[in-house]
Amino acid sequence: MNWHRHPELLDRLAAEYALGTLAGGARRRFETVMRRETAVARAVARWSERLQPMDAKLPPLPAGDALWNRIEAKAFPAAPAPAPAPAPAARPAAQPTRRPAAKPAAPSWWQRWLAPIPAGALAFGLVAGTLLPTVWQALQADRAATQLPEAYVGVLATQDGRQGLVVSSLRRGLKVDLKRITAVPVPAGATMFLWTVDAAGVIAPVGPLPAADFVTVALPRAAEEVFSKAVELAVSLEPTGTAPAQPSTAFVYRGLCGKVWPAPPAR
Amino acid sequence: MDADAHLEKLLSRIALQDRAALRELYDATAGRLLAIAARMLDDRAAAEDVVQDTFVTVWTRATNFPALRTSPLAWLTTIARHRAIDVMRKRRPETPLQWQDAEGQEHQHDVADASGTPLDQLLAVQADARLGDCLGRLEPEPRAAIALAYQEGLTHDELAVRLQRPLGTVKAWIRRSLLRLKDCLGEPA
Repeated sequence: MNWHRHPELLDRLAAEYALGTLAGGARRRFETVMRRETAVARAVARWSERLQPMDAKLPPLPAGDALWNRIEAKAFPAAPAPAPAPAPAARPAAQPTRRPAAKPAAPSWWQRWLAPIPAGALAFGLVAGTLLPTVWQALQADRAATQLPEAYVGVLATQDGRQGLVVSSLRRGLKVDLKRITAVPVPAGATMFLWTVDAAGVIAPVGPLPAADFVTVALPRAAEEVFSKAVELAVSLEPTGTAPAQPSTAFVYRGLCGKVWPAPPAR
Repeated sequence: MDADAHLEKLLSRIALQDRAALRELYDATAGRLLAIAARMLDDRAAAEDVVQDTFVTVWTRATNFPALRTSPLAWLTTIARHRAIDVMRKRRPETPLQWQDAEGQEHQHDVADASGTPLDQLLAVQADARLGDCLGRLEPEPRAAIALAYQEGLTHDELAVRLQRPLGTVKAWIRRSLLRLKDCLGEPA
């Protein structure tokens, strides 16, 4: 049963989860859905806010540099620290408690997906978002108008934050154009598969994509229908010939889905 | 609230992978999270592991669910408490402390009743005024059940044993008490 579609049941389970009484398999299932469904996470957040003052006056325990060093070793494993700003407490260079060998366990595909978009991807998105209309305009110059056609444009980054894939479709079009900037390895027997992600975090399938530098793919439905609710687009690798309802692997590309037309007048 | 606004800014910087912001967040909240985990686990070293996991999670998943950042302390507390619950439930025996016999009669292991005054005092001391007031409107036993569940991470089964009441009664207490707290506290801002 899709309990997360029933507000009252969802709220009750969120309350029990936030309190801590949810146990065993029910708790694990709840956590799985919570990571996927924003509405569930929000309900838990509301309950946590209600209950958290239970600790308001609990006296804090001293948490020192030794514990921080352990966190640092795990969170920033072996990377040369760019050190955006000096940490408040100056720490000796050779801390014996620092454990550079400690590497976090390999994250599961959803954790990688939920991992922060690297700053590079963000910067790329911003630059591409600014430049794309101009590029588009140049391409469409012989359309006589200076105005852009209404279109959906997705700018997707690779998992390591490099510029990855530009997805575009005319607003009322039936095709989608894909310009690949960085190729990702596609194992034999697998095909790239395009997904939309809506504001609530719900993932919906669009269809398989051929691996090529520039391709045009027919959409299963009109672009407006496929992309109108999407806030993000993402690509996973799926077994060739399948039509999965949910991605079975990590997203190899992911990024914002922009709507290139003026916002409707305020209601 | 000023403190929350500051933490919110730190979390936004952490989402952009600003390491100094993670350290500031640590300085601002680790002591409190450590106290919460230590109370639940009754073990300082295990509590430190929980706090470590919490901050690593914050670092790797800070862009996740920006809406949750409206109350950063509650968000951090939730992560830490559930990490502590994971640890606690892993080390507890899986055998039930409470069971039903062939006639459907409920049995439970005998333990001391923790519902008395000390717990009420603890609640009065540790909860803030508004929540304290709402908790004060609950009956003493359901209130004790809520406090034990939150502060010690007890499940329904464990609460039934600790409070020496049938499982069904404890479940009903929790369900009704949460509803009454929601009515009393309203929607968070």
